[in-house]
This record gives sequence, C-alpha cells and structure tokens, in this order.
Amino acid sequence: MLAMDQGVVEEWLSEFKTLEETAVYNYAVSLKEKGSLVPALYKVIRENYSDLLEPVCHQLFEFYRSGEPRLQRFTLQFLPELVWSYLSVTAARDPHCSGCIEALLLGIYNLEIVDKDGQSKVLSFTIPSLSKPSVYHEPSSIGSLALTEGALANHGLSRVVYSGPHLQRETFTAQNRFEVLTFLLLCYNASLSYMSGSSLQSLCQLSSRVSICGYPRQQVRRYKGISSRLMVTSEFLVQLITGIHFALCNGEVDLGSKALDDVLYRAQLELFPEALLVGNAIKSSLHGASLKSNKEGTRSIQVEITPTASRISRNAVTSLSIRGHRWKRHDAVDLGSPDELTEIAEVDEGICTQASGAQSSPPTIVISSSAGGAAAGAGKLAGKGLRRLTGRSSKEKDKEKDAATGMDQLTRKQAAVRAMSENLELLSLKRLTLTASQSVPKSGSLSLSRTASAVFSRSFEQVSNVFSGNQPSSRASSPTSNHVAEQDEGVAYLDHISPAHQHRQRSPTISIHVTSDL
Amino acid sequence: MTARKSGSRLETEIERCRSEGQWDKIPELVRQLSAKLISNDDLGELLLGEAKLQQYLKENPIKQGSSPRGPRPRLQEVRKHLTAALDRGNLKPEYMQEASLIMAKLCYVEADYREALNQYSRVNLDEMQLVGAPVYRLSMIAEAYATKGLCLEKVPMASPSLSNSIADKDQEIITCYEKSGDIALLYLQEVEKALSAGIQNRSPKPGPVTQEQELGYFLETGLQRAHVIHFKNGNLTRGVGRFREILRAVETRTTQNLRMTIARQLAEILLRGMCEQSYWNPLEDPPNQSPLDDPLRHSPHTKDYALSRRPRIYSGENLFCPQENTEEALLLLLISESMANRDAVLSRIPEHNNDRIISLQSASLVYDLLTIALGRRGQYEMLSECLERAMKFAFEEFHLWFQLALSLMAAGKSARAVKVLKECIRLKPDDPTIPLLAVKLCIGNLHWLEEGERFAKIVIDMGEKAAEFRAKGYLAIGLVYSLKATDASLRGMQEEYQKKALSAFQRAQSLSPTDHLAVFYLALQLAISRQIPEALGYVRQALQLQGDDVHSLHLLALLLSAQKHYHDALNIIEMALSEYPENFILLFTKVKLETLCRGPEEALLSCKRMLQIWKSCYNLTNPSDSGRGSSLLDRAVADRRQLNAMTLPDFSDPETASHASSSLSGSEPVSPLFPLSSLYSPPPPKATESNQRRSSHAFCDHAPHRRFSSASNLPDAFFHGFDSFIGVCSVHATSIAASRVEQALSEVASSLQSSAPKQGPLHPWMTLAQIWLHAAEVYIGMGKAAEATACTQEAANLFPMSHNVLFMKGQVAELRGNVDEAKRWYEEALSISPTHVKTMQRLGLILHQLQRYSLAEKILRDAVQVNSTAHDVWNSLGEVLQAQGNDAAATECFLTALELEASCPILPFTIIPRTL
Repeated sequence: MLAMDQGVVEEWLSEFKTLEETAVYNYAVSLKEKGSLVPALYKVIRENYSDLLEPVCHQLFEFYRSGEPRLQRFTLQFLPELVWSYLSVTAARDPHCSGCIEALLLGIYNLEIVDKDGQSKVLSFTIPSLSKPSVYHEPSSIGSLALTEGALANHGLSRVVYSGPHLQRETFTAQNRFEVLTFLLLCYNASLSYMSGSSLQSLCQLSSRVSICGYPRQQVRRYKGISSRLMVTSEFLVQLITGIHFALCNGEVDLGSKALDDVLYRAQLELFPEALLVGNAIKSSLHGASLKSNKEGTRSIQVEITPTASRISRNAVTSLSIRGHRWKRHDAVDLGSPDELTEIAEVDEGICTQASGAQSSPPTIVISSSAGGAAAGAGKLAGKGLRRLTGRSSKEKDKEKDAATGMDQLTRKQAAVRAMSENLELLSLKRLTLTASQSVPKSGSLSLSRTASAVFSRSFEQVSNVFSGNQPSSRASSPTSNHVAEQDEGVAYLDHISPAHQHRQRSPTISIHVTSDL
Repeated sequence: MTARKSGSRLETEIERCRSEGQWDKIPELVRQLSAKLISNDDLGELLLGEAKLQQYLKENPIKQGSSPRGPRPRLQEVRKHLTAALDRGNLKPEYMQEASLIMAKLCYVEADYREALNQYSRVNLDEMQLVGAPVYRLSMIAEAYATKGLCLEKVPMASPSLSNSIADKDQEIITCYEKSGDIALLYLQEVEKALSAGIQNRSPKPGPVTQEQELGYFLETGLQRAHVIHFKNGNLTRGVGRFREILRAVETRTTQNLRMTIARQLAEILLRGMCEQSYWNPLEDPPNQSPLDDPLRHSPHTKDYALSRRPRIYSGENLFCPQENTEEALLLLLISESMANRDAVLSRIPEHNNDRIISLQSASLVYDLLTIALGRRGQYEMLSECLERAMKFAFEEFHLWFQLALSLMAAGKSARAVKVLKECIRLKPDDPTIPLLAVKLCIGNLHWLEEGERFAKIVIDMGEKAAEFRAKGYLAIGLVYSLKATDASLRGMQEEYQKKALSAFQRAQSLSPTDHLAVFYLALQLAISRQIPEALGYVRQALQLQGDDVHSLHLLALLLSAQKHYHDALNIIEMALSEYPENFILLFTKVKLETLCRGPEEALLSCKRMLQIWKSCYNLTNPSDSGRGSSLLDRAVADRRQLNAMTLPDFSDPETASHASSSLSGSEPVSPLFPLSSLYSPPPPKATESNQRRSSHAFCDHAPHRRFSSASNLPDAFFHGFDSFIGVCSVHATSIAASRVEQALSEVASSLQSSAPKQGPLHPWMTLAQIWLHAAEVYIGMGKAAEATACTQEAANLFPMSHNVLFMKGQVAELRGNVDEAKRWYEEALSISPTHVKTMQRLGLILHQLQRYSLAEKILRDAVQVNSTAHDVWNSLGEVLQAQGNDAAATECFLTALELEASCPILPFTIIPRTL
C-alpha cells in the first residue's frame, strides 16, 4: 500500500478519536469531501495482512455504534468488500487474519437485530389487498377477484414477517454463517440509494466471485483468486440479486449484468428455485429496456409518453369482452342480469375483425345482404358482421373459401336480408344482438352449427356479386352442408360492427334471427 | 359541477355537444341558433371555428413527438371564423376568452408559437374560473395550458446566458403541464359524471354511446409531459410525486389505460430506484434532500401553485397507505395486474397475433415486477397464486410457465410443481435444469421414484449437450437408484439397484471431480453396501473438498463407529457440533455414542442440553403446559442437576404415574394460543433443514420461510423420518403409507383427547418428541422404568399414535416384565407401521419367549426381507431356528449376523438425507 494512502487512513483514524459528541454530526457531513479516504480504506480491507486492518475495523464499528445515520452508511458501504474478505479467508481455511473482520461483521449484526429499546427487531410489512380501499383505488372498480382460498385468506390486510427475530451471535459457525450474512445484506439493501458507485461495484464483484469460484466458469471469467467452491444458500443469493438489480439500473450495467448471469448460473447448478425465480424475472424485465451507463451521479430514468388508448385492436377477444360472448349452445343463452347487459354494451367486445387490420384479408363469413332494393345499401357492409373465431390457421380458411358453395351463401343471405331489413335502423349492435338473443326462446334456434357451416369468401364484394348472380335460391339443403371443417367450439357468431371504426359505415346488425329462421 | 343556467334547450344542447366532442352536430345547431337572434352570430362564428378546428385535428391527429408544420389551407376557414368572432367584439367576456384560446390553439397547429403565447398572455389563463365552468370549458383550459407549455418549449430563450431564467422558464413550463394535467383529470371526471347522468336522464334508446373517449394530443401531453420532463432532469422526487397525483385521482374510463401504465412505471421506479430508507409515503411531503435526485440540479420540491378546483381523489377512512417501497410497489402492481388481466387477448387466430403479443408483453412485465417485489420478501405462496392468474397469457410461453413452476416449488407445492415442470420440459426440451428441478422434487417429500428416474434419464440422454449438468444428472439417477434400493423388498433387487447407484455415482464423480456432493454420495452408497474402508477413503476426499459439510462429517462419524472406533467417532461429532451447534441429527448420534462410550449419565446430559436448545430455538409453548410453567420440560430444563439424579416424585409411584401423566395430558388447553398469524416466525437456526443445501430427509423440504406448510407433507416426512432416528434403517415406501395412517389416527385421537392442538408447523414438535424418546431409551438402558415411562408419556402427549411411541411403550413394558402388555404394544405399533423392523425383532423375541416359534420365525423372516442388514434380526432368527431344531439354517443366520455386526454403525447410514 502506498504511503500516501496509509497516511490518509491514519489521519482519519486519529481524527475521530479526538472528536467530541456534539461534533459528530458535522464530522459525518464532512466525510463526503474526503475523496481519497474511501479508496484507501478499500485497499486496507483487501489486503488482509495490513496492520491497519484492526484499527480500521474497530473505527468502522465505532461509527456504526454511534447511531448517526451518515456514519452508519459510511460503514455499510464497505459491507460487500468485508463479506468477500471473510468468505475468501474461510474458504482458504486461513484461521487467522480474519478475526477483526469477523468481529466487525458480528458487531454490526448484533447491533442491527435489536431496536432502540433493546428488543428483538422483527421486520414485517403489510401485504396490500385489492379488496380494501387504498389511496390509489377503490375495490368496486377493480374487477372481481377470483374466489380462491388464498384470496379469501388475504381478505383484509395482513402483516407478514419477513425477517426476525434473530438471536445474538458471538461467533461465526458454519450453521449461522449465512443467516448472519443474509441479514447483513438485507440491511445493506435497505440503504442502497445511499451507496456510492464503488460500493455497488464491489457488490457485483462479490456476487460474481462467490458464484463462480471453483466452477468451470471461473476459467471463462479468468478470476485467479481462490479456486475452491464457496457454499451459498438460496436466500443469500436472493439478497445479492436484489442488490445487483439496483446496481444494474443505476449505472453499473456491465458489472451488473455479468454478476446477474453468474448468480443465475450458480442458482441453476444448485437448483435453487427462489434465486432462479427472482433472477429470471429481473432478466426478463430488463430485456427490452436499453440501459445505458450513466455518468456517476445522474440517475435519469427514461420515460416516454404512452398513448392512453389501448393498443389492442377492438376485435380481439379479451377477458373482459368474453363475458359478452355468446357461445354456441343449443339452449337459450344465459346472459346474466340486465346490468351486465348494459355493461357489456359499453365494453368493446367483439369479434369483428377489421378489414384493414390484418395482413391478409381475413376470411369473412359474409352473410350479406345485397338483395336488391332497399336493403342493398345497408347490406354492403353487413357481411363484415358475422365472423367466427376459430383456432385454425388462415390456410384452412382459404381452402374453405374455395370450397364455398353458392347455395349456402344464398340461403343465408336471403335470411339475412330479411333480418337486416328489420334491423336496419339499429345502430347499437351489441345491445340489440343481446336483446335479440334473449328474445329468441326457440330451442335449438341458436344452433350456430348452422351458421358455423357458413361459407367463407374473400371479400364482401365478391359475395355480393355472387349473390346477385344467383338469384334462385334453393334453400333446401343449406343446413346440412357443413363445409367448414373447423370445429366450432362454441364460439358465437356475434355480428358486430363497432360504430367508431373508421372504415365502416353504420351498418345494420344481422341478428341471430337469421339462424332461427332457417 | 354546477351547470350554468342556460336559457334554452338549444344552448344546453350546444354545450353538451361541445363537452362530448360531437363536432359534426355543431353546424346544424349553429344554424338553428343563428335563426334565433342576430347577436348570436358571433357565437355562431366561434362555434363553427371551433368545430372545424376540432374536426381537422380529429382527421389529422398530431402524433406525439412531432411538431406542427405550418399553415394549412383548411385552417384558413377556421381563422376566418375566429377572427370574425374576435374582431367584432360583441361576445360576452367568457366567449371572448374561449375564442382567444381557440385562436391560440390554431396558432400552435400552424406553428406560430409566439402568436399563441401572445394570445395566452392576453387572456391570462390563470384567472380563468374553474369553479362553475361548464365541462367543455375545463377541457379548453386544460388544452390551453398544455399548448402554452408546448409553445414555451419550442420558443427559444431570449437570453440564454442567465441560468436562473432557464430554471425559471423550466419551472413555468412544468407548472403549465402540471396544471393542464390536473384540470384534464378534473375534466374527465366531470365528463364521466355527466355522461352517466345523461344516460339515466335520456330515454334508453339505443344511441351510439361513445365508449372510450380519445384524449387527443393536447390533453395527453398535458397529462404526461410533466413527469417526462421531471425524469429527464433527474428530478425523481417530483416525478414520483407527479405519478402519485395522477394515480390518486379517481379513475375514469378514459384514464384506465393511462393509470395502468403509470402504475407500472411507478412500481418500476420504486423497485429499481428506491430503497427502504429513501422512501416517503404518498401522504407525506417529499424529503428535501433525497439521494434519488440529481445532486447537480436544484429544483424546488414543492408545487408553487394551487388550483381552485382539483380532481377528486380517493378518500375515506381507513384508507390503506403504503409505508414501504415494496408495499407501494405491490399495491400498484396488483392494480396494474387486474387491469392487464382484463385485457388478456384470448382469441388465438393469427390475425390477432399482434394484439396477443402486446397484451402478453405488458402483462409479462407486470408479473416480472411482482416476482421481484414478492421475492424480496419471501412471499412465494402469494406469488404462485399471482402467477397462476398469468396463465391466461401463457399458451406456449415458456417464461411464464417456468416462473410458475419455480414459484410452486418455492412455496412447497411439490406435486403441482412437477406437473408444471413437465409442461416446461415440453416447451424447452434442451434445457437440462428443468428435469433436474423435477428430480429434486421427486426425490424429496413426494417420493415419486419412477418419475424421478424418468426425469433423470432425460438429462442423461442429453449427453454432451447438458454440459455442466451431466454430472448432476448422474448424481440424480444415482440417488433415485439408491432410494429404490432401500425400498426394494427382494434382496436381489436391492443388490441390483445398489450396483446401479454405485456406478452412477462413480460416473458423476469422474465427470466432476471437484464436486464434493458426488464424492459424498459415492461414499454414502458404499457405506450402505457395507464397504466401509472404501467409503472412508471417499468421505475423506469429500471433506477435503468441503471441510465443513455437516453430512460428510456425520458420515465419517458413523463409519468410524462401524469400525468400532467409538471415541474417534465421538470426537468427530463434537467437532461437527462446534460448527453446527443446533443440529439435532448430530445430537441424536451423540447421545447414542455417549451411551456406549462414556456412560448413560453423559447421554442424559446431552438430552437435557437438547431440550434446552429446543426451547431456545423454537420459542413455542408446550401443549401440555398448564400455564404455570410446571411441565416436565420446563422443570427439566430449569433443573441444574442431572436428569438421572432428579427425583421425579410424581412418577416414581406406578399408581400416581398414570394419574400424573393424565393430569398432564388432561390439563385444560390453557396454553396461550400462540397466534397463528403472521407474527409467528420460523425458528432461526432452522436446525437441520433449510440453510443446509440438502434439507434433512426427515423434515419438510427446503423452503425456509414457509409459514403455513401444508400439513400433509410434514407428518409424512416426520413419521418415516422418525423411523430412521430410532434406528430403523429403511425409509420405506410402506412407511410412508404408515405415516399417513398415523397422521389420520393422530388427528382423530387429538380431537378426542383434551390436549391442546399444536400450533404452527409440526417439525419442532416432532423434534421434541424424538428428544423425549431418546431420553426414554437411555433410561431403559439404565433400567429406570419410571423415568422411561415419564419420557415416553411426554412424547405420547405430542403424537399419541406414533408407532415409535408405541414401540417405546412396549420396551418399557418389557423392562418391567409385562410381556403380554409389551406384546400388545408391539402389535399396535406394527398395525400402524408394518415394516418397522425393530418392532418386528422385539416381537419376534417375545414370541420366542412365549414359545410360538413358527410365528416368531415368520415375523423375523419378514423383518429380514425389509432390511437385510439388521444383524440383531438375523441373530434372533438364528435363535428361533435353533429352538426349532433347524441348526444348519440357524448357523447360517448367526454367521450372517456376525458379519453384519462387524460393520454395523451406531445408527443406520440411511439417516443421512439423500437429496439433490
């Protein structure tokens, strides 16, 4: 160690000894300005054999004991380095030289496990529950939660203990080693915002080394320190990962990502589910985000203006909208209370696929209208109405298109025309559709299997042409010919054209009267 | 909102259209209006101008991040209208203001920023009334502030040299945006209120209900740009404050999506940028100096304005306000999750692919953040429930499935975890960790050895692709074979499996020579096969690799005891205990060794120490405690004299013994109900489980923070693990069945008895019962029946239907000479656990005494089938055969017994847990 560093450290040692009680606070504030002190102290800790180690450890402990938050944080910043020092010495089975570091670690631990009154500290927190109102929400507006046992048990807020109470420890044994170290890391993580960059770097290095020493990856990382394996526990790794996460997002991108990879590697080898869980989550959540290394001191977070409208197209069936679906059933559909109806009416549900949205023009089941005359104009877009959700690929649908027979189209269209003329002025499709379905009591009338056998055609215009071409209708055999190979798993036909959609004009609904008339 | 008293229906209608954004109706209404009064012409101009501008903006929406380009021909008309309205000056003052605002907006759209700013200064935005303003005007004012902010941003500084003025300008811009955001929120709330009132008022004819209002460029900017600037400037405190303000406002349909995004972003910041010490809760003022902010910029932390009307916020009594960054993050994430769940795209047709991806991505992020927040606090049970809800999104998505599997594993739901892992293997067949995790679970509590073998074979079949996991795969299959060998009932099968296990372990060790686990298990397997010297060599190697591994040390001690070097073994145990002072398995072995080496008094001292340790570890109330601290446990612990010197006056008299014991068991369940609630904390050293990498086979598996362990797992583990402690070597599959029977019986029994039910997880009580039974055994060795009875009774209070307890009762009876009673107890024990070899052996001996030789022979032969290395069984069998006159067979048995006894450890090797 350079003489200069030694001098700095010695000066620091002597300064504090002569300090009075009252001047402690100012001294703490002034510590920040001593730029060369912290690196010098790091050097002392790294070289185990320095004689300054003992007085330094003692002084750091005094800092911690003083209770002044700044001084405590000053001590805490060295924690990763101290832990590494202790672990590496233990692994090398070097009995001496780690005594003072052990004493320091145990001292901090014993101080932290009791609160001001000397009682054992129990760290707990409240698990929020959506069923209780909070400053950010009201329970009624959030949808009903699943009625699981867990949800019932959590009804109301529960305070849960996550650490403690702990026993005082006099020495390190193999049994309590990781309990103590995990708790110390917990304390360290509680003050992460105050830790400087060098401390975070040291944390990342600790994580890397602890994870890979003695494993094949050590060759990859080319770390030449110790070569025997260090035992770790799952909770210890979880606390390390928590710290690494903070470091990753606050400037230490390279070291942090390496450390995270190494810890995950170790967790995989040891089959620790907790560490894998949190590590994978961090990795996946940072996947898209580009983290640039910021300069020291700047902690800017990238935030963009997000569009307030939902980006999901209106046609996609979502959990919310599926409530309003009618399923293929042979009995009357039960749609629940009228309240639900109005709600559904407000919700954008639906299966109307956009003509424009998809890359390939979606196959449409056009039960379209253009019967001549009055219904013609209205019929134009009716076809976009009836669609079907299936799980099959569009290829099959294309095949179906080709196999379309005019007959089916015809029959349906005729019926559709009739229905349409009834419903021409109705603009709120959903409501109507639902009310219509409710008023359809005929059993079996909702056999959408018939509509299921509807024909696909590529475009609405084609169909209307076809339709106008084949006037005579043979209505006979339509229900039977089921061209569609797709099995209809009870997906409803819901004709539905969202009024707000730009590409469509207001179009009439084709209610399921259609099928019932067949 | 108080509606303005409007004179006519027409005006109301106009107001309504303006509020709801139905600009296409305006021209018609204007025509009707101008038919009425001439003076309304100006108003008509104003309305037309506004309508046209709004329609233009609707058709050519300004995108975020782009700047308006310049004058547009279509907007000429608008300008004409507005100029007409303004110039004539006949309008009422409010309408004049409105006209100016619209004019300013037009100027912005045409990129004439200075003019817009002029307009705003003329109007003096700050003085426009919010209270009593009609709904549309709120929107106008909000947009005006936003536009003003935008203009200020775009206009370059007049004199950029003064840094103060830059800061001031920034502050002004931010204030504009913040005001705009607040008023926009207020406007949206008012609109929703009006709409819902309107729906009720009007006849329910189906009219087009504008479901979601589009916010438009200006309102969106106003809502969001403030915090964007805060974050860009590094002012996290104010950014977070702004987020919170937006979230605290009562939600409306239009803001739902925004709230979801903001909630998630705020949760991200709380988890990534804040720690517990730098947190302040939403209801208090932000700290003056926070490490979160950029130290180079000094911006004021408090708002410097106050609006006359504010948006409604969530309020009430007992509102939950988070006190910690994790709590707040959890709350926000739960809110965000419920919203994201609603938007889960369920349809699977390819045209909805993009939608699926979008909803998956946003939900995935929310679930990842939930994992991070809950993982920090060890709440894996809740996490597994949340991740189950994520399954809606998870079709063919490996990440979510895997996370679910891991969370189930961490929460202790092993059976489900294995099933989910199967699905993960299907989704990602090339990843060796997944089958290894499955094997770990199968070998643990579940004891699904067939499945385990299949999973392990998957890893082995991967060959080189598994890279560093190959050794682990061999290790896993070796363990499976080893456990199968222990389970097997035919000797031939046992040997075959043992051979397979050995070769697998050897392969593992050769693949990864620095892994002490492979070497250790090789040693263990050799020990089980009674190849003691080789086992010793390997275990020493293992200790060289990892010097303080508790199981290696234990195995070493057992091996030394097998070689009859009891003192050396005891030394090793004591050394191990110095590193693992609260490890009960080691302590049990110590008791046994001390009984042999140093005499039973020492052993009793150890028992007493164990009781002390137990009491300090598990700070629980003994269920038989009558509340006065007078239980035997407390007295034993408090008594300084050695246990054997203690006179137990209550128990020395056989008559009063039963009375006293019943008084103990019949004591009213006054034990202060240990709150089952969250304040129960798991015992710190967690004795043998948890912090060790391989949790003890006898106890629950590895999740240390599990609070409410599923009751079904533990008793199984206990009861068949308990076997191993008392000396039966097998961890039999049948003993698992026995343990289930015991559990059922004990539940029934405890409901009949009046003893208080045990609180919390069972393993502390199991340990306590084991300690008592060990003490009883030592007393039996000393010949002290009364004390032995007392100890057994203590154990019986805890687990009355345990076959170990029954066995011990039988032994006590034997000691007292009550052969019939002993026989009864043994038979009861066997009915619960038919493969308990020790019981079988003693029963066989009794039957031999009673001269029922053939029955004795049968029972002893069965025992030998179960465990072919039990030398005392062989010995007894030899005696029985001899008594029957079958000398040749008897000789064979005796020889076998001698051989086995030569290498018999003090406790069977199988008490050492075999887990991955």
